[in-house]
Amino acid sequence: MAPLQVDWTVLMRDEFQFVLAVLVLAAGLVAGYVIGRLNKRLLVAAGVPDAVERTPFERTAQSLGTDTVSLVARLSSWFIYGVVVLIALNIAELLNAQLFWSGVLTFIPDLFIAVLVFIVGFVVADKAELVVSERLRSVKLPEVNIIPRTVKYTIVYLAALVALGQVGVDIEALLILLGSYALAIILFSAVAFRDLLQSSAAGVYLLLNQPYGIGDEVRVGEDRGIVQEIDVFVTRIEGDGEEYIIPNRRVFEDGVVRIRD
Amino acid sequence: MADVSELLGDIVDDADAVFLFSPSGSYYDRFADLDSDVELVVVSPENTVGADTFVELPLEFDGVEDRIAFGVEGAMEEGLVDDGDAVVCTTSMFGENTDTATRVRVSESMRSGVYELFAGSRAEPGVIRDVFDVAIELGKKGQKGKPVGALFVVGDAGKVMNKSRPLSYNPFEKSHVHVGDPIVNVMLKEFSRLDGAFVISDAGKIVSAYRYLEPSAEGVDIPKGLGARHMAAGSITRETNATAIVLSESDGMVRAFKGGELVLELDPEEY
Repeated sequence: MAPLQVDWTVLMRDEFQFVLAVLVLAAGLVAGYVIGRLNKRLLVAAGVPDAVERTPFERTAQSLGTDTVSLVARLSSWFIYGVVVLIALNIAELLNAQLFWSGVLTFIPDLFIAVLVFIVGFVVADKAELVVSERLRSVKLPEVNIIPRTVKYTIVYLAALVALGQVGVDIEALLILLGSYALAIILFSAVAFRDLLQSSAAGVYLLLNQPYGIGDEVRVGEDRGIVQEIDVFVTRIEGDGEEYIIPNRRVFEDGVVRIRD
Repeated sequence: MADVSELLGDIVDDADAVFLFSPSGSYYDRFADLDSDVELVVVSPENTVGADTFVELPLEFDGVEDRIAFGVEGAMEEGLVDDGDAVVCTTSMFGENTDTATRVRVSESMRSGVYELFAGSRAEPGVIRDVFDVAIELGKKGQKGKPVGALFVVGDAGKVMNKSRPLSYNPFEKSHVHVGDPIVNVMLKEFSRLDGAFVISDAGKIVSAYRYLEPSAEGVDIPKGLGARHMAAGSITRETNATAIVLSESDGMVRAFKGGELVLELDPEEY
């Protein structure tokens, strides 16, 4: 009997940290697994599989025999496993270089977030590309393909920036690039869409307050006729055999004369 | 030895045109470079395959006969086929994919005015289709089980508004609902028990309900036996460029008027 019996007193007193480490390790493994499963459930319930469907990222994941949801779920499990292993090693006092390991301990969450941001950024970029190209499908112009691609790479670039910033890489130069890029887009759209923006701002007012409605006879500048249609950008006024399509911007600049007889 | 594919030989022999109804992309590509003396026409709700000759199908016709009749009529209006041409049509009857081939002889009697109604109207085809959908559904179900009548005047809303007067407060005042919005069918159903006409703009905005149309009925020639609602529909379309779609309360038929004439008559029960 005696040789087989475990010496509990020794175990509880002298080698206690090893027992604790094993316990923490076991609990951590279970927690990691459970949280991974839970994460997967949550993601599925939130409709993520539908949202990422048909994106290239999902397709790549599927060709590797997995999918985006399990990838993210497994990532969270691995993160917990990693942290737990480190904690267990610490408790067991197998590690002496405290400074080095505390550095690693703070680095691992950052790395985890960076990877997560990168995956999410990639999926969102793919999805945005799909949505934008779907919206532009009715435009039968081959060059229009550049817009969805620009959207995609902009989002990937942003995600990469956040991810790199998270792990502490110096991203100052990239930020400057981003700033000039954003400035270029703002300048370009300010010049290109100025009239449209003005018209739509006026159109929102016209639609909300309806100073004139369909069927009213009005005069805008020189154009006089019956209002046929009002939308965000233009007002259609039909005169004698002529239909004036007037940008709402002009309605505001010239003012409207409602004609009552 | 006879071959099974010879079954189709008689159907496709010396055809003047081939109509592909809603073909899939790969199906179209297989036939895209067919003999040059056979006209290849794609008939579908949207030109998704990028075909050169294309006839738009504004409604998803369930009946194959109607679908083909509409496609042929549209092609006739666009001058793609003429009286006496033999047309081979491939379409789907039972499933999603093309499973049926049939041969049609084009004749002038196939001109029913439906295509003209959709393609030649001032309002957008989709708007007219949506109004038809509402009228047909209303005709099928009625309002709370009782048959109702309704009058929709579509397009040229500005002129129509000037040739009519309100019977009461306009429930659509300052609203921005369009036909085809999901909630609208219910709204129109509820408002259909009110007297008067619905006025709908070219882009589908519901401008007004409760409108009393007051065009002059002079020179309007509609079949005898139709009531005041149809007469009003006929006259308003003669004086404006609008299209009027009427659901008859007495016989439950949906009729469309354009230019003061009855151009289409259909039974809601068949759709």
